[in-house]
Amino acid sequence: MFGDLQERELIREFVRQLTAKYGRAYWVERAKSKGHLDEIWHELGKAGYLGVTVPEEYGGSGTSMTRLAILMEELCTQGVPLLFLVITTAMAAIPIARHGNEELKQRYLPAIADGSKKFCFAVTEPDAGSNSFNIRTFAKQEGDYYVIKGQKVFISGYDQAQHVLLVARTTPADQVKEKRHGISLLVVDTNAPGLSAHPMDTQIFAPERQFALYFDEVRVPRANLVGEEGRGFRALFDALNAERITVAAMAVGLGRFALQKAVEYAKVRKVFDKPIGAYQGLAHPMAIARTHLELASLMTHYAAHVFDAGQDAGMYANMAKYAGAEAGIEAVDIAIEVHGGSGFTGEVDVITVWPMARLLRTVPVAREMILNYVAEHVLGLPRSY
Amino acid sequence: MKLLVPIKRVPDPATTIQVRPDGTGIVTDNIKWVINPFDEIAIEEALRIKERLGSGEVVLVTIGEKSWQEQLRTGLAMGADRAILVVNDKPLDTLAIARVLAKVVADEKPDLVIMGKQAIDDDSNQVGQMLAELLGWPQATFASKVEISDSVCTVVREVDGGLETVQFPLPAVITTDLRLNEPRYASLPGIMKARKKEIKEIPVENLGLDLAPKLKIKALKAPPKRQAGRKVSSVQELVHLLHTEAKVI
Repeated sequence: MFGDLQERELIREFVRQLTAKYGRAYWVERAKSKGHLDEIWHELGKAGYLGVTVPEEYGGSGTSMTRLAILMEELCTQGVPLLFLVITTAMAAIPIARHGNEELKQRYLPAIADGSKKFCFAVTEPDAGSNSFNIRTFAKQEGDYYVIKGQKVFISGYDQAQHVLLVARTTPADQVKEKRHGISLLVVDTNAPGLSAHPMDTQIFAPERQFALYFDEVRVPRANLVGEEGRGFRALFDALNAERITVAAMAVGLGRFALQKAVEYAKVRKVFDKPIGAYQGLAHPMAIARTHLELASLMTHYAAHVFDAGQDAGMYANMAKYAGAEAGIEAVDIAIEVHGGSGFTGEVDVITVWPMARLLRTVPVAREMILNYVAEHVLGLPRSY
Repeated sequence: MKLLVPIKRVPDPATTIQVRPDGTGIVTDNIKWVINPFDEIAIEEALRIKERLGSGEVVLVTIGEKSWQEQLRTGLAMGADRAILVVNDKPLDTLAIARVLAKVVADEKPDLVIMGKQAIDDDSNQVGQMLAELLGWPQATFASKVEISDSVCTVVREVDGGLETVQFPLPAVITTDLRLNEPRYASLPGIMKARKKEIKEIPVENLGLDLAPKLKIKALKAPPKRQAGRKVSSVQELVHLLHTEAKVI
């Protein structure tokens, strides 16, 4: 179920070779300058890794969350988290491949697979965060077009993407039986007339920025609809489950990156007679953090396996995201502690991981909402909200 | 054109090597094994030759335990077409290795054998030369540039103080130097295809060769630890010490 073990090792080896060239220093420099990561992205595309979620007939290697999780986990283990693997490779390619019409697939999937096109994903609104079905951005049908009005927030990577995969209402919430109905996914060009964006003041140490998007009568051809009109929740769930699995892999990898630095330091750093790694006060928390990372990794790969089998991966994707985020935070936290005061310097480069690791507890879905999901849908407990 | 690339499994160059207490070998626990980096360059060059010519076959061969197929699989993921694993778990010296390869060459009849100039573990730098001798083929060692046209091969060799260009007919043996090329990554489609490619296993006993070692490793020793340096207070003192103590001037 974990894919071919040798294949996994070959993918990891590829990542290590690639990050020997574009490693942590490259990523840190771009994180400081808010620059793009085009060089590594294009190399990934050239070597076929951006086709990891794209069917073979569209230039990919077949949809595999298992391989995407391996890729993301190892990139992050090497200190090079690439957010577009979440928002384009997972969240755009998979819904388009699974639910898009032939024209959309032909138009976008080969370009996603070779790295020439990037997508951002727009669901969150000022009044619709955890409650996605509350979205108010509306796409009104007018002849062969949809005309879109509304606002989105916290949209990562808008400035680098050519397209937005937009989640909008095509029927108002008060006119549908179930709240999840009446929602549709549409591909919108980032340079479409009427679409404007403003960067948000998010304080995450990463190259990608977040934007508020304003849709003012943006016209989109009907052919840009992904899946059935009003039944976008299926494509949306595929996108969100794929996102959770990829984010879990990201959190685990970031935890590994930080912990590995702490372990190396604890082997050589002597404050009294012995290396500080000999003290169980530090050794045990590091051993526990490592164990939790491995457990989270296991759950992530199981979720990917279920997803790849075409089954409902919701429960496992949620649990993986919970476990990954918590294990990531635990590992980065002990890594900072092991380094003492120098853990807060840029040179040691673990405090720099903290905002992103901590972010992943809250987004893309808050820890509390995951626990609500497990309580309600897995345990069958009554809903409180 | 058929290109045969012999490869060897070696410890990752980034590994810290420890000698076993009895001096008979190195500690192999927790060692990450990789393709000898010079052999990786040879695989890359074979793939480039095949791509330039527009057709051909790149065949990998290694001599070792069954687990060595991992390194063969890596080479197949880079793009080689198939592989041969001569299964052997006894120590072989360089001449024995060259004899096994000569037998594989006799069976496979490649137009060109291209391999690393040496393995980074024992640094022998002998197998390519011995193989060419056993086959009676031309050889070009330390290649930094390879060109092939109409079964004539031109190789630029890295020699002391410069470059030497040699030309010879095929079949031949070429050994690769560091600056020949930069090996490619295994692409994702390459990794996926590698799973289905053939690795043929041949037990070394079936080759009917005399492989009794002529060379015996008597002992391995780690290099002595570097001593700390010493600070001197003046140029005069330095010159004095270089003259009287180090006796180098």
